[in-house]
Amino acid sequence: MLLLYVLLAEWLFFYVAGTTTNRRGVIVGFGTLDRQFDILRHSCEIGLLALALTPVIITAGIDLSIGSLLGLCAILFGKLWHDGGLPIPAAAGLTLVLGAVAGGLNATLITALRLPPLIVTLGTYSLFRGLAEAITHGSITYTDFPESFLFVGQERLLGLPTQAWIFFAVALAVGLLVHRTTFGRAFRTIGLAPEGARYAGLPVGRRLALVYVLAGLIAAIAAIIYTARLGQAKADAGTGYELFAITAVVLGGTSIFGGTGSIPGTLLGVAAIAVLKNGLACLPVVMAMNAAEEMSGLLTGALLLLALTASVLPKILSNFRASRHAPAT
Amino acid sequence: MKKILLHLCTAGAVLLASLVTASAADSKLVVAMLPKSKGNAYFISCKAGADKAAKELGIQLLFDGPTDSNAAKQNEIVENWITLGVDVIAVAAENKEGISTALRKARKSGIKVITFDADAMTDARSFFVNQATPEGIGHGLMDEAARLTNSEGEFAMIVASLTAANQREWQKHIEARLKEKYPKMKLVAVRPCDDLKDKAQSEATALLSANPKLKLIMAICSPGVPGAAEAVKQAGMTGKVKVMGLGLPNENKRYVHAGVTDSVILWNTGDLGYLAIYAGVAVAKDELKKGAKTFKAGSLGTFNIVGDNILLGKPFIFNKGNIDQFDF
Repeated sequence: MLLLYVLLAEWLFFYVAGTTTNRRGVIVGFGTLDRQFDILRHSCEIGLLALALTPVIITAGIDLSIGSLLGLCAILFGKLWHDGGLPIPAAAGLTLVLGAVAGGLNATLITALRLPPLIVTLGTYSLFRGLAEAITHGSITYTDFPESFLFVGQERLLGLPTQAWIFFAVALAVGLLVHRTTFGRAFRTIGLAPEGARYAGLPVGRRLALVYVLAGLIAAIAAIIYTARLGQAKADAGTGYELFAITAVVLGGTSIFGGTGSIPGTLLGVAAIAVLKNGLACLPVVMAMNAAEEMSGLLTGALLLLALTASVLPKILSNFRASRHAPAT
Repeated sequence: MKKILLHLCTAGAVLLASLVTASAADSKLVVAMLPKSKGNAYFISCKAGADKAAKELGIQLLFDGPTDSNAAKQNEIVENWITLGVDVIAVAAENKEGISTALRKARKSGIKVITFDADAMTDARSFFVNQATPEGIGHGLMDEAARLTNSEGEFAMIVASLTAANQREWQKHIEARLKEKYPKMKLVAVRPCDDLKDKAQSEATALLSANPKLKLIMAICSPGVPGAAEAVKQAGMTGKVKVMGLGLPNENKRYVHAGVTDSVILWNTGDLGYLAIYAGVAVAKDELKKGAKTFKAGSLGTFNIVGDNILLGKPFIFNKGNIDQFDF
């Protein structure tokens, strides 16, 4: 809940400080409807990755490879369409399958070989990005996508950026999976005590496989949206996105040690980061210093550390009190 | 507890906000300049010129770009500027097609768009400030080579590759100039160095031993100049065989000061930034329109316009006297 207040305060601050009237008398900056849509548009890809990561982190796992997988899927999608001659829907469909397969590779290594997710996905992090670079020789960029496809990333549908609808649909689906099904309960149990879950008869391997395959699939969706937004597919797509996504998930209250976490929390986390990043770029002070990017990195980090500290503070305080009032022995 | 925190946050936000807005109100024309990457010394030197132009014109200059050359970030920055309602955007495009989507959107919302250094699609901007035409580079290189050799004797060329389009184009203009103006000079060899300094060095060494009468080596790819200089230095031919070519000041400073390399040719990046800002402001004020043939940019004087390209004109020669003023 704390995060909701932080988000509100953040938004209010930028609304007041980041809105100005320009030379032509037009209101510009943070307090415009266009800006709010931009924020939503820019949050979709990192938001999708954060949604993909939430179940993974709830099972006490991690997936560092999804940013690289976004890049690989963008390239595969571009190649299937441009070189393979497939129509856009077919290329997109096939890309989703390939994303799931890539997630399956993580899943197999983690569940069948019982390797730690951190190490496995660190490996595929390099592998996927390397593949994307190898396919394009690091230099080919796929562009000239048809208007009808760019509509998904650049236009509005029923008042909202088109891709936001996809984002909301995925959020709803993952939210239901995590909070309203026995699968979700299994993820939390596995996150709290994997051995216990095994003894309790849960199919731990299959449940774990599910979260990593799902992560691959969602990364592929993000890749297609990313390509549509920029109108280009390049091997460096999504570089570093996994870290923003992890930040959003942890900010949203999902424990990095597994066992607890929520999709609404993740959405708030994504919003907090997106508003911060976008709002900073509207502040006259930051603009004058030409330092929007640096400041957003710095403050995102500060926000995360503050949120983490605030979340453990009550526990530490109560421990401290308990030890002070403990009877002397 | 939570309520108190909320009140604190709000109060803090409002307080800070009022401080910030108080300092922000002015109504200058806002020009936003987007380099390929903002940490790159090349673009920092462009910014120096842009700052000077901004001061002279009394406009507000925003200078922001990706910290690395990242095409996606460029789009995000442009989209940010669109909602900020800047007046002019001047872009060095990292990815021609990619950035054009965002630039078209900017134009649609009434922002004037020009490009400099690296062009976008032609329908996404009004003018391109072109720092170097193949003809300008070719003639500049040949004229400087002639000046260094008193217009006579043998010389050889090191190129990146024998097939690259820009290299072929430059070579064509160099040879045309040679034929037209310098009959006593003779091009004895053209060797590729694959854009590698080591290869350039070994090619230059081979050229030196095969052509005892060689007076000058001209390298038209940036690793070629220091590569050739190293070969000449190691062969003990410093001064006897001159080295010059197309390159960046920093990687050649050492050889220029040691007297091995005489001239490094490129364009003046400060002037490029200066011209870009002047052109952008002129477009915004409707002083520079489609079809114009010339354009006057402050203290730099008049520039030619061909089609929708504003030409920076003659290349700039870096030598012992001025190379230390440049850092890229």
